[in-house]
Amino acid sequence: MTAMASSAFVYVTYIRSNPETVWQALTTPEFQRRYWFGMHQECDFRKGSPWKLVFEDGRVADDGEVLESDPPKRLVLRWRNRMRPELTDEGDARCEMTLADEGGATKLTITHSIALEHSKLIEAVSGGWPKILSSLKSLIETGEPMDSIYSRAKA
Amino acid sequence: MTRFVYVTYIRATPDAVFDALTRPEFTTRYWAGTTQTSEWKAGAALGVHTPDGRLWDSGEVLEIDRPRKLVMRWLNEGFAEMKAEGPTVIAYELEAQGSVTKLTLTQTSAVENSKVIGAMSQGWPAVLAGLKSLLETGEPIAEFAKWPEGL
Repeated sequence: MTAMASSAFVYVTYIRSNPETVWQALTTPEFQRRYWFGMHQECDFRKGSPWKLVFEDGRVADDGEVLESDPPKRLVLRWRNRMRPELTDEGDARCEMTLADEGGATKLTITHSIALEHSKLIEAVSGGWPKILSSLKSLIETGEPMDSIYSRAKA
Repeated sequence: MTRFVYVTYIRATPDAVFDALTRPEFTTRYWAGTTQTSEWKAGAALGVHTPDGRLWDSGEVLEIDRPRKLVMRWLNEGFAEMKAEGPTVIAYELEAQGSVTKLTLTQTSAVENSKVIGAMSQGWPAVLAGLKSLLETGEPIAEFAKWPEGL
């Protein structure tokens, strides 16, 4: 595994809430639409189930499969881009989300990786995750997501 | 060279984020109770102090363009092993995007596999999450607002 070429993006944030609430926000379409660029996911979040990230107009941005699911602690997805051919051609990536209770806050760690050096997919998601997770944190802590990021990303 | 980059978006103005990063009335509330002292101009000395007054980090302001940019040389004084590795450079870049400020933190060391960057990269997400919570809700993340026991 150490010799394999790979790209990875790791992002950690802390949300003043419990892991159950953060898990709900990560896996429920009503929540997702409010902080994830208006997109939502179609999935029952059980191991082996198909997973899709869908635009408001129904186009599929990314799809894959639930590789591991242990609510509210751990979710691992096989992730393939379906919007940009050069990203689709890179093949399957892996997105791992872990949640841990740290004294009044939830530590949320996202590790998005692919077995390919200088991956364009990982470069693309590296720009997206900080926006998505900043907005998720605002939504859970204040009841409101970050509108201006959301509108810029759509434009 | 070793580098750590972290981006977060905060619903506040760049001025408010800049103040929260540098002024003691804010830093004591979310950044392990610490205080930074400096005249905040290029070439000025910088000190980071523990709640009981010990110098924990020292440094110098390399570049300041309030509220867009702050670059500092930063040397840990608290741990001999970290101090021996030499200073890092910490840069904050702030950009207004509508009602939100994009904050980009970059910390760079001239050393390969820097232990200082390794240690601080574990701490930055907690510090900046506490900063975001404080500015958006008026309350920090309590756990990260206290100086670690025994240090």
